[in-house]
Amino acid sequence: MAVRSALPTLAVLAAVLSVGCSASDRGPDVAAVADRFQSALESRDGEAACAQLSEQTASELEQQEQRPCEEAIVALELPAGGEVASTSVYVTSASAVVDEGGTLFLDEAADGWEISAAGCRPTAPDLPYDCELED
Amino acid sequence: MRTFLRHNSLSIVFLGLFLAALMLQAFAGLADFNEDQDRHASPHMTLGRYLVSSEFGTAVLENWQSEYLQFTLFILLTVWFVQRGSPESKPVGKAGRESDSDQQVGPHATPRSPRWAKADGLRRRIYENSLLLVMGTIWLGSWFAQSIAGASQYNAERLDHSQAPVSWLDYLGRPDFWEKTLQNWQSEFLAVGSMAILAVYLRQRGSPESKPVGAPHEATGTES
Repeated sequence: MAVRSALPTLAVLAAVLSVGCSASDRGPDVAAVADRFQSALESRDGEAACAQLSEQTASELEQQEQRPCEEAIVALELPAGGEVASTSVYVTSASAVVDEGGTLFLDEAADGWEISAAGCRPTAPDLPYDCELED
Repeated sequence: MRTFLRHNSLSIVFLGLFLAALMLQAFAGLADFNEDQDRHASPHMTLGRYLVSSEFGTAVLENWQSEYLQFTLFILLTVWFVQRGSPESKPVGKAGRESDSDQQVGPHATPRSPRWAKADGLRRRIYENSLLLVMGTIWLGSWFAQSIAGASQYNAERLDHSQAPVSWLDYLGRPDFWEKTLQNWQSEFLAVGSMAILAVYLRQRGSPESKPVGAPHEATGTES
Protein backbone atom coordinates (compact mmCIF):
# COMPACT_ATOMS: atom_id res chain seq x y z
CA MET A 1 0.00 0.00 0.00
CA ALA A 2 1.41 3.38 -0.98
CA VAL A 3 3.00 5.69 1.54
CA ARG A 4 1.35 9.07 1.22
CA SER A 5 2.97 12.34 2.11
CA ALA A 6 1.47 14.71 4.67
CA LEU A 7 2.52 17.71 2.58
CA PRO A 8 -0.55 17.78 0.30
CA THR A 9 -2.74 17.61 3.41
CA LEU A 10 -1.00 20.62 4.87
CA ALA A 11 -1.30 22.47 1.56
CA VAL A 12 -5.06 21.97 1.47
CA LEU A 13 -5.39 22.86 5.16
CA ALA A 14 -3.58 26.11 4.35
CA ALA A 15 -5.93 26.66 1.41
CA VAL A 16 -8.96 26.08 3.64
CA LEU A 17 -7.66 28.60 6.16
CA SER A 18 -7.02 31.08 3.37
CA VAL A 19 -10.66 30.65 2.30
CA GLY A 20 -11.67 31.81 5.77
CA CYS A 21 -9.32 34.77 5.54
CA SER A 22 -10.44 35.80 2.07
CA ALA A 23 -14.08 35.53 3.19
CA SER A 24 -13.52 37.94 6.06
CA ASP A 25 -11.50 40.26 3.77
CA ARG A 26 -14.53 40.60 1.49
CA GLY A 27 -16.89 41.59 4.33
CA PRO A 28 -16.15 45.36 4.04
CA ASP A 29 -16.97 45.30 0.29
CA VAL A 30 -20.34 43.72 1.07
CA ALA A 31 -20.98 46.26 3.85
CA ALA A 32 -20.11 49.15 1.50
CA VAL A 33 -22.71 48.01 -1.08
CA ALA A 34 -25.31 47.54 1.67
CA ASP A 35 -24.51 51.01 3.06
CA ARG A 36 -24.86 52.65 -0.36
CA PHE A 37 -28.18 50.89 -0.91
CA GLN A 38 -29.62 51.84 2.49
CA SER A 39 -28.42 55.46 2.15
CA ALA A 40 -29.93 55.72 -1.32
CA LEU A 41 -33.27 54.47 -0.02
CA GLU A 42 -33.13 56.92 2.88
CA SER A 43 -32.56 59.86 0.51
CA ARG A 44 -35.14 58.37 -1.91
CA ASP A 45 -32.51 58.23 -4.68
CA GLY A 46 -33.99 55.45 -6.83
CA GLU A 47 -31.21 55.54 -9.40
CA ALA A 48 -28.48 55.02 -6.80
CA ALA A 49 -30.48 52.25 -5.12
CA CYS A 50 -31.08 50.43 -8.42
CA ALA A 51 -27.35 50.66 -9.22
CA GLN A 52 -26.73 48.31 -6.28
CA LEU A 53 -29.23 45.69 -7.48
CA SER A 54 -28.41 42.72 -9.68
CA GLU A 55 -29.70 42.99 -13.24
CA GLN A 56 -32.08 40.09 -12.61
CA THR A 57 -33.52 41.65 -9.42
CA ALA A 58 -33.98 45.06 -11.06
CA SER A 59 -35.66 43.46 -14.07
CA GLU A 60 -37.94 41.37 -11.82
CA LEU A 61 -38.96 44.54 -9.94
CA GLU A 62 -39.71 46.42 -13.16
CA GLN A 63 -41.86 43.59 -14.48
CA GLN A 64 -43.71 43.21 -11.20
CA GLU A 65 -44.40 46.93 -10.72
CA GLN A 66 -44.75 47.81 -14.44
CA ARG A 67 -42.54 50.89 -14.13
CA PRO A 68 -38.83 51.82 -14.20
CA CYS A 69 -36.67 50.43 -11.40
CA GLU A 70 -35.81 53.96 -10.14
CA GLU A 71 -39.49 54.67 -9.44
CA ALA A 72 -40.51 51.20 -8.32
CA ILE A 73 -37.76 50.82 -5.71
CA VAL A 74 -38.73 54.06 -3.97
CA ALA A 75 -42.42 53.15 -4.06
CA LEU A 76 -41.71 49.80 -2.39
CA GLU A 77 -40.98 51.65 0.90
CA LEU A 78 -38.24 49.21 1.89
CA PRO A 79 -36.62 49.75 5.31
CA ALA A 80 -34.14 52.61 4.73
CA GLY A 81 -31.01 53.90 6.45
CA GLY A 82 -29.51 52.13 9.45
CA GLU A 83 -26.06 50.72 10.06
CA VAL A 84 -24.73 47.42 8.74
CA ALA A 85 -24.49 45.30 11.90
CA SER A 86 -22.84 42.22 10.40
CA THR A 87 -21.93 40.55 7.11
CA SER A 88 -21.46 36.92 6.08
CA VAL A 89 -19.51 35.97 2.96
CA TYR A 90 -19.31 32.43 1.53
CA VAL A 91 -17.88 31.60 -1.91
CA THR A 92 -19.84 33.96 -4.24
CA SER A 93 -22.77 34.67 -1.89
CA ALA A 94 -23.18 37.10 1.00
CA SER A 95 -25.66 38.64 3.40
CA ALA A 96 -25.68 41.90 5.33
CA VAL A 97 -27.80 42.46 8.43
CA VAL A 98 -28.89 46.09 8.72
CA ASP A 99 -29.98 47.54 12.08
CA GLU A 100 -33.75 47.94 11.91
CA GLY A 101 -33.52 47.42 8.14
CA GLY A 102 -33.81 43.68 7.78
CA THR A 103 -31.31 41.58 5.87
CA LEU A 104 -29.91 41.98 2.36
CA PHE A 105 -28.68 39.03 0.27
CA LEU A 106 -25.95 39.63 -2.31
CA ASP A 107 -24.23 37.78 -5.16
CA GLU A 108 -20.74 38.40 -6.47
CA ALA A 109 -20.77 39.71 -10.03
CA ALA A 110 -17.87 40.44 -12.39
CA ASP A 111 -17.49 44.00 -11.05
CA GLY A 112 -18.35 43.50 -7.38
CA TRP A 113 -21.27 42.65 -5.12
CA GLU A 114 -24.89 43.12 -6.22
CA ILE A 115 -28.04 42.88 -4.13
CA SER A 116 -30.31 39.99 -5.07
CA ALA A 117 -32.84 40.35 -2.22
CA ALA A 118 -33.72 43.22 0.15
CA GLY A 119 -36.02 43.92 3.07
CA CYS A 120 -35.74 40.30 4.21
CA ARG A 121 -36.89 39.06 7.62
CA PRO A 122 -36.62 35.61 9.16
CA THR A 123 -39.79 33.51 9.20
CA ALA A 124 -38.91 30.27 10.99
CA PRO A 125 -35.60 28.52 11.68
CA ASP A 126 -34.14 26.95 8.52
CA LEU A 127 -36.79 28.43 6.23
CA PRO A 128 -35.96 31.11 3.65
CA TYR A 129 -36.38 34.72 4.78
CA ASP A 130 -39.46 36.58 3.66
CA CYS A 131 -38.18 39.31 1.31
CA GLU A 132 -40.02 42.38 0.04
CA LEU A 133 -37.75 42.43 -3.04
CA GLU A 134 -36.01 39.42 -4.60
CA ASP A 135 -35.18 37.95 -7.98
CA MET B 1 19.45 8.35 -9.64
CA ARG B 2 18.32 5.22 -11.51
CA THR B 3 18.85 3.20 -8.35
CA PHE B 4 16.75 5.70 -6.40
CA LEU B 5 13.93 5.44 -8.96
CA ARG B 6 14.11 1.64 -8.97
CA HIS B 7 14.03 1.46 -5.18
CA ASN B 8 11.14 3.90 -4.81
CA SER B 9 9.10 3.26 -7.93
CA LEU B 10 5.87 2.41 -6.07
CA SER B 11 5.81 5.68 -4.06
CA ILE B 12 6.87 7.74 -7.10
CA VAL B 13 4.23 6.23 -9.39
CA PHE B 14 1.49 6.82 -6.81
CA LEU B 15 2.69 10.39 -6.20
CA GLY B 16 2.54 11.02 -9.96
CA LEU B 17 -0.92 9.47 -10.26
CA PHE B 18 -2.11 11.53 -7.28
CA LEU B 19 -0.85 14.84 -8.71
CA ALA B 20 -2.27 14.09 -12.17
CA ALA B 21 -5.68 13.11 -10.76
CA LEU B 22 -5.76 16.15 -8.45
CA MET B 23 -4.96 18.46 -11.35
CA LEU B 24 -7.62 16.89 -13.58
CA GLN B 25 -10.12 17.06 -10.70
CA ALA B 26 -9.38 20.78 -10.34
CA PHE B 27 -10.07 21.43 -14.04
CA ALA B 28 -13.21 19.26 -14.09
CA GLY B 29 -14.47 20.78 -10.83
CA LEU B 30 -13.91 24.32 -12.12
CA ALA B 31 -15.74 23.55 -15.38
CA ASP B 32 -18.65 22.06 -13.40
CA PHE B 33 -18.76 25.07 -11.06
CA ASN B 34 -18.75 27.49 -13.98
CA GLU B 35 -21.54 25.56 -15.72
CA ASP B 36 -23.59 26.18 -12.59
CA GLN B 37 -22.56 29.86 -12.66
CA ASP B 38 -23.88 30.05 -16.25
CA ARG B 39 -27.23 28.64 -15.11
CA HIS B 40 -27.47 31.51 -12.60
CA ALA B 41 -26.15 34.13 -15.06
CA SER B 42 -23.17 34.64 -12.72
CA PRO B 43 -19.54 35.31 -13.71
CA HIS B 44 -17.04 32.47 -14.13
CA MET B 45 -14.51 31.75 -11.39
CA THR B 46 -10.80 31.66 -12.22
CA LEU B 47 -8.71 28.53 -11.60
CA GLY B 48 -6.62 30.29 -8.92
CA ARG B 49 -9.71 31.33 -7.00
CA TYR B 50 -11.33 27.89 -7.41
CA LEU B 51 -8.26 26.15 -5.96
CA VAL B 52 -8.69 28.02 -2.65
CA SER B 53 -12.50 27.83 -2.67
CA SER B 54 -14.52 25.69 -0.29
CA GLU B 55 -16.06 23.98 -3.36
CA PHE B 56 -12.71 22.44 -4.29
CA GLY B 57 -11.67 22.03 -0.64
CA THR B 58 -14.74 19.96 0.24
CA ALA B 59 -14.46 17.79 -2.86
CA VAL B 60 -10.81 16.98 -2.10
CA LEU B 61 -10.96 16.67 1.68
CA GLU B 62 -14.06 14.50 2.03
CA ASN B 63 -12.20 11.84 0.06
CA TRP B 64 -8.88 12.31 1.84
CA GLN B 65 -10.33 11.94 5.30
CA SER B 66 -12.05 8.68 4.39
CA GLU B 67 -8.90 7.23 2.80
CA TYR B 68 -6.83 8.03 5.88
CA LEU B 69 -9.58 6.67 8.13
CA GLN B 70 -9.51 3.48 6.08
CA PHE B 71 -5.76 3.02 6.63
CA THR B 72 -5.96 4.09 10.28
CA LEU B 73 -8.68 1.54 11.00
CA PHE B 74 -6.97 -1.14 8.94
CA ILE B 75 -3.72 -0.67 10.89
CA LEU B 76 -5.58 -0.69 14.22
CA LEU B 77 -8.12 -3.46 13.67
CA THR B 78 -5.65 -5.92 12.13
CA VAL B 79 -3.82 -5.92 15.49
CA TRP B 80 -6.73 -7.78 17.10
CA PHE B 81 -9.02 -9.00 14.30
CA VAL B 82 -8.01 -11.76 11.88
CA GLN B 83 -9.35 -13.28 8.68
CA ARG B 84 -8.35 -16.89 8.22
CA GLY B 85 -6.77 -17.36 4.80
CA SER B 86 -6.26 -13.65 4.08
CA PRO B 87 -2.81 -12.25 3.21
CA GLU B 88 -3.95 -9.00 4.87
CA SER B 89 -4.35 -10.79 8.21
CA LYS B 90 -2.01 -12.23 10.81
CA PRO B 91 -2.31 -15.96 11.55
CA VAL B 92 -5.28 -16.68 13.82
CA GLY B 93 -3.20 -17.38 16.96
CA LYS B 94 -1.23 -14.13 16.62
CA ALA B 95 -4.08 -11.72 17.44
CA GLY B 96 -3.02 -8.94 19.82
CA ARG B 97 0.01 -6.68 20.28
CA GLU B 98 2.42 -9.65 20.33
CA SER B 99 5.48 -10.17 22.55
CA ASP B 100 8.56 -7.90 22.66
CA SER B 101 10.48 -10.77 21.16
CA ASP B 102 8.10 -11.08 18.19
CA GLN B 103 8.25 -7.32 17.70
CA GLN B 104 12.03 -7.05 18.13
CA VAL B 105 11.90 -4.22 20.65
CA GLY B 106 13.92 -3.32 23.77
CA PRO B 107 16.37 -6.09 24.63
CA HIS B 108 15.08 -8.11 21.65
CA ALA B 109 16.01 -5.42 19.14
CA THR B 110 18.58 -6.35 16.50
CA PRO B 111 21.64 -4.21 15.69
CA ARG B 112 19.81 -2.95 12.58
CA SER B 113 16.55 -2.10 14.43
CA PRO B 114 15.53 1.59 14.44
CA ARG B 115 16.99 3.53 17.40
CA TRP B 116 13.60 4.20 19.00
CA ALA B 117 12.76 0.45 18.86
CA LYS B 118 15.78 -0.19 21.09
CA ALA B 119 14.79 2.59 23.52
CA ASP B 120 12.61 2.17 26.61
CA GLY B 121 9.66 4.16 27.95
CA LEU B 122 7.83 6.89 26.08
CA ARG B 123 10.08 6.93 23.02
CA ARG B 124 9.46 3.27 22.31
CA ARG B 125 5.75 3.67 23.11
CA ILE B 126 5.50 6.45 20.51
CA TYR B 127 7.51 4.55 17.90
CA GLU B 128 5.50 1.35 18.43
CA ASN B 129 2.37 3.26 17.41
CA SER B 130 3.89 5.88 15.09
CA LEU B 131 2.19 4.66 11.89
CA LEU B 132 -1.21 4.71 13.56
CA LEU B 133 -0.53 8.11 15.18
CA VAL B 134 0.51 9.81 11.94
CA MET B 135 -2.24 8.26 9.78
CA GLY B 136 -4.83 9.00 12.49
CA THR B 137 -3.65 12.61 12.81
CA ILE B 138 -3.88 13.15 9.04
CA TRP B 139 -7.38 11.60 9.11
CA LEU B 140 -8.58 13.90 11.90
CA GLY B 141 -6.85 16.92 10.33
CA SER B 142 -8.43 16.36 6.92
CA TRP B 143 -11.83 15.60 8.48
CA PHE B 144 -11.62 18.86 10.44
CA ALA B 145 -10.63 20.75 7.28
CA GLN B 146 -13.52 19.08 5.41
CA SER B 147 -15.91 20.36 8.07
CA ILE B 148 -14.65 23.95 7.66
CA ALA B 149 -14.77 23.87 3.85
CA GLY B 150 -18.12 22.03 3.95
CA ALA B 151 -19.67 24.61 6.29
CA SER B 152 -18.56 27.39 3.93
CA GLN B 153 -20.02 25.63 0.86
CA TYR B 154 -23.22 24.82 2.78
CA ASN B 155 -23.62 28.43 3.89
CA ALA B 156 -23.10 29.70 0.33
CA GLU B 157 -26.04 27.52 -0.76
CA ARG B 158 -28.14 28.78 2.16
CA LEU B 159 -27.45 32.42 1.25
CA ASP B 160 -28.38 31.65 -2.36
CA HIS B 161 -31.78 30.55 -1.05
CA SER B 162 -32.22 33.56 1.26
CA GLN B 163 -31.53 31.53 4.40
CA ALA B 164 -29.37 32.53 7.36
CA PRO B 165 -25.90 30.93 7.51
CA VAL B 166 -25.17 28.42 10.29
CA SER B 167 -22.18 28.24 12.63
CA TRP B 168 -19.47 25.58 12.23
CA LEU B 169 -20.70 23.78 15.35
CA ASP B 170 -24.26 23.79 14.02
CA TYR B 171 -22.99 22.44 10.69
CA LEU B 172 -21.40 19.45 12.45
CA GLY B 173 -24.90 18.24 13.36
CA ARG B 174 -26.34 18.82 9.88
CA PRO B 175 -27.19 16.00 7.43
CA ASP B 176 -24.99 17.63 4.75
CA PHE B 177 -21.83 17.04 6.83
CA TRP B 178 -22.72 13.45 7.71
CA GLU B 179 -23.88 12.54 4.21
CA LYS B 180 -20.58 13.81 2.74
CA THR B 181 -18.68 11.91 5.45
CA LEU B 182 -20.55 8.61 5.44
CA GLN B 183 -20.87 8.22 1.67
CA ASN B 184 -17.07 8.02 1.62
CA TRP B 185 -16.73 5.86 4.74
CA GLN B 186 -19.07 3.15 3.50
CA SER B 187 -17.17 2.76 0.24
CA GLU B 188 -13.83 2.48 2.06
CA PHE B 189 -15.15 -0.13 4.50
CA LEU B 190 -16.61 -2.13 1.60
CA ALA B 191 -13.34 -2.01 -0.35
CA VAL B 192 -11.18 -3.09 2.61
CA GLY B 193 -13.61 -5.80 3.71
CA SER B 194 -13.94 -7.24 0.23
CA MET B 195 -10.14 -7.16 -0.24
CA ALA B 196 -9.67 -9.10 3.02
CA ILE B 197 -12.10 -11.82 2.01
CA LEU B 198 -11.51 -12.00 -1.78
CA ALA B 199 -7.76 -12.40 -1.24
CA VAL B 200 -8.50 -15.67 0.60
CA TYR B 201 -9.66 -17.31 -2.64
CA LEU B 202 -8.30 -15.15 -5.46
CA ARG B 203 -4.70 -14.44 -6.46
CA GLN B 204 -2.63 -11.90 -8.37
CA ARG B 205 0.61 -13.43 -9.44
CA GLY B 206 3.54 -11.22 -8.40
CA SER B 207 1.63 -8.91 -6.05
CA PRO B 208 2.55 -8.79 -2.35
CA GLU B 209 -1.11 -7.96 -1.70
CA SER B 210 -1.89 -11.52 -2.78
CA LYS B 211 -0.79 -14.91 -1.54
CA PRO B 212 1.41 -16.87 -3.94
CA VAL B 213 -0.82 -18.39 -6.64
CA GLY B 214 -0.26 -21.92 -5.37
CA ALA B 215 -0.73 -21.12 -1.67
CA PRO B 216 -3.67 -22.95 -0.09
CA HIS B 217 -6.85 -20.98 0.68
CA GLU B 218 -6.45 -21.55 4.43
CA ALA B 219 -2.89 -20.14 4.55
CA THR B 220 -3.13 -16.87 6.48
CA GLY B 221 -0.71 -13.89 6.32
CA THR B 222 1.39 -15.50 3.62
CA GLU B 223 3.00 -13.20 1.08
CA SER B 224 5.08 -14.08 -1.95
